[in-house]
Amino acid sequence: MTIPAVCISHLTKVYRRGTVAVEDLSMTIAPGDFFGFLGPNGAGKSTTIHCMTGIAKPTSGKIEIFGVDAVKDYREARRLIGLSPQEFNVDTFAKVTQIIDWMGGYFGMRAAERKARTDMLIDRFELGPHAKKQFRDLSGGLKRRVILARALIHDPKLLILDEPTAGVDVELRRDLWRYLQELNRDGKTILLTSHYLEEIERLCRTIAIINGGKIVREGPKADFLATGDLEEAYLAATGAEPDHITGAA
Amino acid sequence: MSAIDNTAELTPMPPMAINWIGLWTLIRRELSRLMRVPTQAFIAPWISALMFIFVFGYIVGGRIATIGGHRYIEFVLPGILMINIINAAFLQSSSQIYFQRFLRYIEEALVAPFSYVEMIVGLLAMTVVRSVITAIGILLIGAAFGATSISGILEFLFWIVSVAIIFGLLGIIIGLWANNFEQLTMLNIFFITPLSFVGGVFNTVHMLPDWMRWIAWANPFFYFINGIRHSMIGFSEAPELLGAGFTVTLAVILAVVVWKLFSVGYGLRE
Repeated sequence: MTIPAVCISHLTKVYRRGTVAVEDLSMTIAPGDFFGFLGPNGAGKSTTIHCMTGIAKPTSGKIEIFGVDAVKDYREARRLIGLSPQEFNVDTFAKVTQIIDWMGGYFGMRAAERKARTDMLIDRFELGPHAKKQFRDLSGGLKRRVILARALIHDPKLLILDEPTAGVDVELRRDLWRYLQELNRDGKTILLTSHYLEEIERLCRTIAIINGGKIVREGPKADFLATGDLEEAYLAATGAEPDHITGAA
Repeated sequence: MSAIDNTAELTPMPPMAINWIGLWTLIRRELSRLMRVPTQAFIAPWISALMFIFVFGYIVGGRIATIGGHRYIEFVLPGILMINIINAAFLQSSSQIYFQRFLRYIEEALVAPFSYVEMIVGLLAMTVVRSVITAIGILLIGAAFGATSISGILEFLFWIVSVAIIFGLLGIIIGLWANNFEQLTMLNIFFITPLSFVGGVFNTVHMLPDWMRWIAWANPFFYFINGIRHSMIGFSEAPELLGAGFTVTLAVILAVVVWKLFSVGYGLRE
C-alpha cells in the first residue's frame, strides 16, 4: 500500500482566545500529487499548514507526513517538508546567501552540501546578481524567489507553498509555474494555496476547498471542471453569491 | 529562471540525536547579527565600564582607603564587570528572541528539526559568548588601570557562565512575554539596574546603615557580585558556597520554567 504524502485525520485547531480555525478536518494527499488547497481568507488554509509544519500546535487530531507523525516524531517529519509561507518571515537585514545557507544549517546539512545546494538554487532562481544583497533591498518578486529557494535548500519530499505568487508580476508567475511543474515531474509532492483560480486550475491535479475550518469539497480537478469552470465550483462550495461576484443585477 | 539541471545529491541525514550543525548555525547566525551592531553590542558596555572604572575606581577611589587590603579600584572592578555581564546576557537573549518573534523569522527555527532543548541551548550559548566577549574587554580595561587580577580561574569562570545563563534565561522569558519594546525593557529598568547598583558594586555591606543591611543580604545580585569579587581579589562578605548554591538553584528553576514555556509553545507557536 502506498503511504500518503500527507494524511490528516480529524484535525482541530482552537486558538487561545477560543477561535476555532480548523474543525475536524481530514484530508489525504497522494505522493507525487500537485494538490491545490483553496478557500476564502480566514477559512483555515494557513492554520492547517501551520499545524503540519510546527508553527502551530494542533488542538486535536493526527497529521502524518509520509507516514511520520508530525507531532510525536516532529523532527523527522519536518525534515520532509519545505515551507514557503504567505508572509516573508526572514531577517530582513540578512543577505540572500545567508538566508538560504542558514536554513540548510538548521536542517543539519554539512557546509559543502549547503554550498553546492545554495549555489544551485541561486543559479536556478536567477538570484546571482542579488546574492550579496540584503533581503530588504530586493523587489517583491525577488523576495518570493528567495523564500522558495530557502524552502528547497534541504531537498524536501513535500513542498508547501502558501500563496507563492501573491504580488508577483506575470512573467515571474509563469516562470514559477514552469519551475513548480518541473519539480513535481521530478517527484516532489506539492501543496499549493492560492487565490488565483487560474493558477490552481493550470497546475494542480487534485483540489480541496476549505471553508469555515472544514473541507467542503475535495477531489480530482476533472470532477470540479465536469459541470463548469473552477470558479463556479469554488463559489458553490463556499456558498458565495456568484451574482455578487460577477456584478450582475 | 534557468532550466532544471541536476540537483546536488544530498547525503541522507542520519536520525539525529543532537542537531549539532543546526545548533552551530543558530550561534553563527546570531554572531552575524551582532557583527552588524558591534557598537551597541560590545563598544557601548566597554565605554560604560571604562567610565565607571575611571571615575569611581581611579579618580574617586584614589581618595578612598583600602577595603580589606585592596585598592578601591580593585574592589569595584568585579562589580562593574558583573553588572555588564548581567546586562549583556539579558539584552542578548531577550532581544534575540523578541526580534525573531517580531520579524517572524523564529518560524525558520520552528519548522526545522530542533528540539526545545536545542533551541534553548542555542540561545544560551550565544548569551554566554556575548557575556564572555564583554567580560574580556572589561578585564583588559581593568588591566590598563592595573586593577585586574584573578585569584581563582575556575571560580571566576563559574560566576561568569552561571550568571550569564541565569540572565539569559530571564531574558528568554521576557522575550517570549513581551509584545512591545516597552515591555521588553521593563525588567531591566525596574529590577536589574536598581538591584545591581545596590548589590554591593561600590560599597561593602558594612558601609550601609544597620537597618539597610537586610536589603543587601536579600538581594540576589549581592551574591553574584560577592562571588565574582572573591574569585578575583579573594574578598568576600558572605559564604561563597551559599552564593554558589543559590545561583545554581536559581539557574535550574529558570531552566525548567523556560523549558516548560517552550514545550507549551508560549509566545512561539500559535
